[in-house]
Amino acid sequence: MLDRQLAEFLEDGLAIYIASRNADLEPNGAHVVALRVDDDLQHVVAFVPTVSADPVLDDLRSNGQVAVVCTRPPDDKGCQVKGVFTDAGDAGPDERAWVIAQWERFRDKLEQVGLPRTPTDAWVTWPCVAIRFRVNALFDQTPGPGAGAPLA
Amino acid sequence: MSLTLDSLASCWQGLIPATLYTCSRDGIPNAAYLSHIEYVDSNHVALSFQFFNKSRRNVAENPNALVRVLDPDTAQGYALRLRLVRSETAGPIFERMALRIEAIASYSGLKGIFKLLAADIYEVRSIEPVADDVAGAAAREGLGRRGSASDPRFTMRALQDLSVRIHRAACLDDLLDSILAGLDEIFGFSHSMILVPAEEAGVLVMIASRGYPENGVGAEARIGEGIIGVVAEAQKPIRISGLLRALLYAHAVGQRARASGLCPPERIPLPGLASPESQLGIPLLVRGELVGVLCIESEEQYRFHEEDKTSIELLGSYLAIAIQNMQLQERAESAAEEALAAAPEAAPTLPVHPPSRVAARREVTYYTGDELIMVDGEYLIRSLPARILWKLLTVREREGRAEFTNRELRLDKSLNLPEFKDNLESRLLLLRRRLDQKCPDIRLVRRARGRFGLELASEVTLSTRP
Repeated sequence: MLDRQLAEFLEDGLAIYIASRNADLEPNGAHVVALRVDDDLQHVVAFVPTVSADPVLDDLRSNGQVAVVCTRPPDDKGCQVKGVFTDAGDAGPDERAWVIAQWERFRDKLEQVGLPRTPTDAWVTWPCVAIRFRVNALFDQTPGPGAGAPLA
Repeated sequence: MSLTLDSLASCWQGLIPATLYTCSRDGIPNAAYLSHIEYVDSNHVALSFQFFNKSRRNVAENPNALVRVLDPDTAQGYALRLRLVRSETAGPIFERMALRIEAIASYSGLKGIFKLLAADIYEVRSIEPVADDVAGAAAREGLGRRGSASDPRFTMRALQDLSVRIHRAACLDDLLDSILAGLDEIFGFSHSMILVPAEEAGVLVMIASRGYPENGVGAEARIGEGIIGVVAEAQKPIRISGLLRALLYAHAVGQRARASGLCPPERIPLPGLASPESQLGIPLLVRGELVGVLCIESEEQYRFHEEDKTSIELLGSYLAIAIQNMQLQERAESAAEEALAAAPEAAPTLPVHPPSRVAARREVTYYTGDELIMVDGEYLIRSLPARILWKLLTVREREGRAEFTNRELRLDKSLNLPEFKDNLESRLLLLRRRLDQKCPDIRLVRRARGRFGLELASEVTLSTRP
């Protein structure tokens, strides 16, 4: 589903949010600290702060439908990854450095466009729940007339 | 204490993009960044609808939505549960949102492409603080440059101080400088400019500025273009924070649009600061007549708060009246003094200061077709100020006369001044300041009300070209 180039983009350090919905089709969302693409290029893991993961996890365990939006601050290039939940668990201590390094790359990009790091200082980035899902659709999310077009 | 929309005023600034979560009728969720969110009333917000995207299709099928916003003053995030009520394509909410988007679009050459299609009005069903944006008050300290309710700039004392400066101003020249100096020294707005309508329809010309390396006098802004032009066109104030982010967003749209052949590649350069983060444009209106536009800029992200805009709007009305009154007063006094004046060659009544820089020789060329003057091959000024300067220089060369009156300019049909409200004093001020900036060895020196001298500290050669 994904190719290596897109996988590198997703792991580059982006502004990322995850969306789910409940049985009444009411959406829920949470901030994502980092994304990791599995070697099979079929699955993506979203690292969501544990403190805010419950509503999304409840939704995913009940219906599995998930969407992740990511945007790169300097040029607003973005994509939407959709899929079906497979599993979730607490992120391990050995993953922390990798997750935080990706988060810091995102904050570096914020500075490139003149946004201070300060607002994101206050954001919880650890501990995280690692939410894995199988990708079934990709969409261009770069703002403009082509936004929403399928990527694959 | 329950949260209310009214307590979230800072969240609508767009400094940190809001995110919108929706879900299709068949249960597929979607997340997207929002361009603009606007407070409507204590129970409703409006979201910008600019492109026919998945979010828009989803809310058409399923009106439930969730928006996450961030308060730039406190770093606290909030989740708003929404339900789509209606879409508006006209009216005050639509116009307010469209104005801001139009101003940003015009900077990127995207006017008409990057535009508001509708203001989607949502009922706010609940507001909750979000947990992952909260890491304790200590981490949030220093984020907001000030608390939302603290450190008010527009105190009665500050307004009184500015008022005193304005009342002390003896002429339009002093008044404009006093206003901008007051905004800087009293309120801390260190980059500002005032533009007034040019005689050419649809054009504003900068007459005073403060805080920029180049004073920019004579620079023009077209009505409807850029924040200044949009303020003039709509005659409504605009405040934009996170301008750089908005421009980058618009730039991303522009690249896509241009790739699709949807718009020309022009980009209108920003006047003033190279990278302004916050801009506030205030129309200076007297009974619906546009006297000018005051633009204040800052490189700070979130420089103008809600209370600043409201206060400056009120201040704008006051400044507009002060400027118009001064223009009328100068004109009336000019007429009165001219009537009593002796011959134009009368001795100067004001001290003459030597120019700070001297050029040995100046080549002044008047382009009759474009009505503009070039000095040593560099653009100086155009339109009415150019016609005036050319008249002064040619009279001086032909008759050896260097003393002039406003009245003789008004009577000179070749200058083609408007019969009504000619704003001659403003044009002379603009010309004087432009000369000071670009060729200080050619000077217009005020002698008295309605009288001035042309002083040359260099040899001037005149020529005309078609």
